[in-house]
Amino acid sequence: MTKTTTFHFKKIGLLTQVQDMGRIGYQAFGVPVGGAMDKASAQTANWIVGNPPNNPVLEITLLGPQIEIKGNGQIAITGADLSPQIDGKSMPMFETVQVSSTSVLSFGKIKNGCRAYLAIRGDWIVKKWLGSCSASSNNSAGLTPDSNFQKGSILTVKTKLPIPKRTLPAEVCPVHSDLCKVRMVEGPEFEKFSARMVGFFFSRSYKVTPDSNRMGYRLNAEVVDFKPDREIISSATIPGTIQITNAGQPIILMADAQTTGGYLRLANVISADMDKLAQVKPGDEIWFSLVSLEEAGLAFSP
Amino acid sequence: MTFHPFGDSALLINFEQKIDEVINARVIALAEAIEAAPILEATFITPAYCSLAVGYDPLKIGFEDFSKKIKSLTPTDPSHFATKKDRVLEIPVYYSEPHCLDMSEVMQQTGLLAPEIIEWHTSVEYRVYMMGFLPGFVYLGSLPKQIYCSRKTTPRLKVPAQSVGLAGQQTGIYPSEAPGGWQIIGRTPQKIFDSGKQNPFYFMTGDIVKFYAV
Repeated sequence: MTKTTTFHFKKIGLLTQVQDMGRIGYQAFGVPVGGAMDKASAQTANWIVGNPPNNPVLEITLLGPQIEIKGNGQIAITGADLSPQIDGKSMPMFETVQVSSTSVLSFGKIKNGCRAYLAIRGDWIVKKWLGSCSASSNNSAGLTPDSNFQKGSILTVKTKLPIPKRTLPAEVCPVHSDLCKVRMVEGPEFEKFSARMVGFFFSRSYKVTPDSNRMGYRLNAEVVDFKPDREIISSATIPGTIQITNAGQPIILMADAQTTGGYLRLANVISADMDKLAQVKPGDEIWFSLVSLEEAGLAFSP
Repeated sequence: MTFHPFGDSALLINFEQKIDEVINARVIALAEAIEAAPILEATFITPAYCSLAVGYDPLKIGFEDFSKKIKSLTPTDPSHFATKKDRVLEIPVYYSEPHCLDMSEVMQQTGLLAPEIIEWHTSVEYRVYMMGFLPGFVYLGSLPKQIYCSRKTTPRLKVPAQSVGLAGQQTGIYPSEAPGGWQIIGRTPQKIFDSGKQNPFYFMTGDIVKFYAV
């Protein structure tokens, strides 16, 4: 008989969702890619409990939930340090943790980063849409009913035989600073911005505003002297695109971004820096720099 | 056609920047050629009015080599650019209360009466230029000039699913309930997005759409 472990949401926190690596290949139909914002942290959490990299995880943003666990299982938390606790005692991150029935998982103070990832060993009983469990940003359509939570929601996981404990070596654990340096390559409309505007953009730091979310980060500054004669004819946008609105406000598109847009695309964040951008929280400082495509490619090497 | 890097794992192909059915047909022909070809490095395709973004796996290929592969596919036979006249989809619309939420605003903007607006809206065949904004949202063009109208100043928080709206020279259909700024003139009973189906999308880019009043 298959055993299951259930996770009962006593408090849901600010934003707790099921995420995996998202749904790639449906952009032509207007479906955002979605998926975990910090993909490396999500995959690492799954590795620590012996799950495949695309297994679902809980993405926990800033204020964590309170979850009562019924049944035994192995869990791991990576990403932001939101002071995870089991039964009120500090829970170690980046290692396999055995939980048993009636354990209560909760979170406390935000120590660093923005998003924590909770992996649970086993097969999650979560309805998929277009091949992915990731919570859809188009919430009202009810596409992913099991991927968003309310008080009283229950997540069920079919447990597997436990694995020997895994611990992520300290030297590869990510460090989330409140100062984030992000590299970009020139975007499709880069040439439409004057040298003065580009100079202004890259010579200062930014904070993300509180209305930022998984669709995009709004930055707290306007580009000087920006008077676009018109919008572009709607064209593709991808996670990492920096678009400048007609009012001059830069927006970095993130995982749940729309697939098309009409604003000028100044630059794109390089793939290697998207995960750390996912850990920026409102109030943190971001600096941008421009790199070549070749340098962006080299950034993949560990 | 011009090729541009689009981040470090996609490229953007710009066609002549114009809303035009022949140009859009070229975009779709190229998108289909890429899908049909065995380019293992390709990860996604986003066709739009007059541009096409194609994703690639940067661990397997770089921008220059990927561009070359796509250029070698470029369809040269003009017959490949034909629109898909075989997919003409006739869509019934209730242009009446309570579905025509913004008919009075459209009447003000166009100086026309409701029956004239309906007459113009149902008078032409539209092309599905692209999908975006929401899963399954279709951008249809182009409207007869007489009923061009601007978006709502303040977007509505909830537009019902299958509402038919106007924005600029475009018309469109909401696939699901969502916030939105298009001027709503009616609603179709035809579900255009069904998440329970294997293929949830009723339309494809390149389809021809004709509305009729019911």
